[in-house]
Amino acid sequence: MNKETDAGDSRPDPVVNVANAGAPAAAAVLSARRIEKEAFQEGWRASASTIPAVAAWGVVSGMAMVKSGMTLWQSLAMTLTVYAGSAQFAVLPLLAAHTPLIVIFLTAMIVNLRFVIFSAAVAPHFAHLPWYRRVWYGYFNGDISMGFFPRRFPAHTVHQPAGKIGFFEAICYPGWFAWQIGAIVGILLASQIPESWNIGFAGTLALIAITIPMIINRAALAGVVVSGAVAVAAISLPYRLGLLLAVVIGMAAAMVADKFIDKEKE
Amino acid sequence: MNAFDVWVSIVLLVVSTLVTRSGFFLFGHAVKLPPKLQHALGYAPAAAMAAIILPDLVTTNGAIDINWANPKLLAGIGGGVFFLVTRHLLGTIVAGMALFTVLRLAL
Repeated sequence: MNKETDAGDSRPDPVVNVANAGAPAAAAVLSARRIEKEAFQEGWRASASTIPAVAAWGVVSGMAMVKSGMTLWQSLAMTLTVYAGSAQFAVLPLLAAHTPLIVIFLTAMIVNLRFVIFSAAVAPHFAHLPWYRRVWYGYFNGDISMGFFPRRFPAHTVHQPAGKIGFFEAICYPGWFAWQIGAIVGILLASQIPESWNIGFAGTLALIAITIPMIINRAALAGVVVSGAVAVAAISLPYRLGLLLAVVIGMAAAMVADKFIDKEKE
Repeated sequence: MNAFDVWVSIVLLVVSTLVTRSGFFLFGHAVKLPPKLQHALGYAPAAAMAAIILPDLVTTNGAIDINWANPKLLAGIGGGVFFLVTRHLLGTIVAGMALFTVLRLAL
C-alpha cells in the first residue's frame, strides 16, 4: 500500500492518489486538516442515525440509576465518568442488593470484556499517537464506534493514518453528548415516574437488543443458552455469584460447541 | 448500600472502563493474548449479558416466576422477536415497554 494514499476518500478501499506527494509542507498541513474535516463529516453522516437511540438509552440509564436508589450527585458522577451503559445496567441491581465491591468490579469487568476485543481491533490504527491521546480515544471506543470504524478502516489500512482521527471523533463525540444529555434528562425525570411503570425494564430490553447481534454463530448461541440457564438455576447463591459462575460455564459451553461444530465440518 | 460504597463502586466502574477500553491502546504493542484465550473471551460478553437478562425476566420481586402470567418474561420475548425482525434498538425498547405495560395491566 502507498503511504500517500488518500484515506479521506469515502470508499473502504482507498484509491491511490499521489497528486499531493510533492506539495510544500504548509500546503500539506492545510490539506491534512481538510482530510480530517471531510473524514469528520463522513463519520457524522454514517453514524448520525444512531443518535436518537443513544439519547433514549441514556434517558433510560439515568432513570435506572435514580430508581436503584442512587442520589442525584452519584448518578451524575456515574454517567459522566463511567460511560459504559451495559456495565451500569448490570451493576445497578447489585448496588441495590448490597453486593460486595469485588463482585461489582468483576461483574463490570466481564460485561466490559467485549471492549478488550474492540480495542485490540481499533488500537493499532492509533499506535502513532502519544500515550495520553491513545488513552483518550480508547475511552470513547464503545459499541457504536466499533460498529462503524472497522467497516470504514479495515485492518489492512493500519499504516495509513489520514482521516482516521476525524472519522473516529465524529462517530464518538456526538454520541457521548447525546448519551449524557439523555442521562441527565433521565436523572431529573426519574422522580416523576411511578415505581409501578418499572422503567428499569427498558434497560433489560436494551440489553436484549445489544446481545442478539453478539450471537454470531451456533457456538455463541450455546454459550448464551447455557449461561442464562445457569444464572437462573444459581439465582439463590449469595453475592450474585451465579452471574460469574454462569459466564464461566457459558464460555466453556461455547468452546465445546465450537469443537463439535468443527468436527461436523471435517 | 451506604454512600461510601456507592462512590467506591463508581470509581471501580471507571477503572473497569479505562482498563478494558484503553488498555490495548496503551499496551497493545506489548501484549499478545494466546489465540485460544482470545477465542474464549469473544464469547464472554454475550454470556454475561444472558446471565444478567434471563434472571431478570424469570423473576418477580426476586422470586422465580416462570409462567405465562409474568409480564416481564412475555415482554422480553416479544422485545427479542421485535429486534430480530426490525434490528431497531429504540423501537425494541418502545415496543417492549408498551407490551410490558399492556400485560402488566391485563394479567
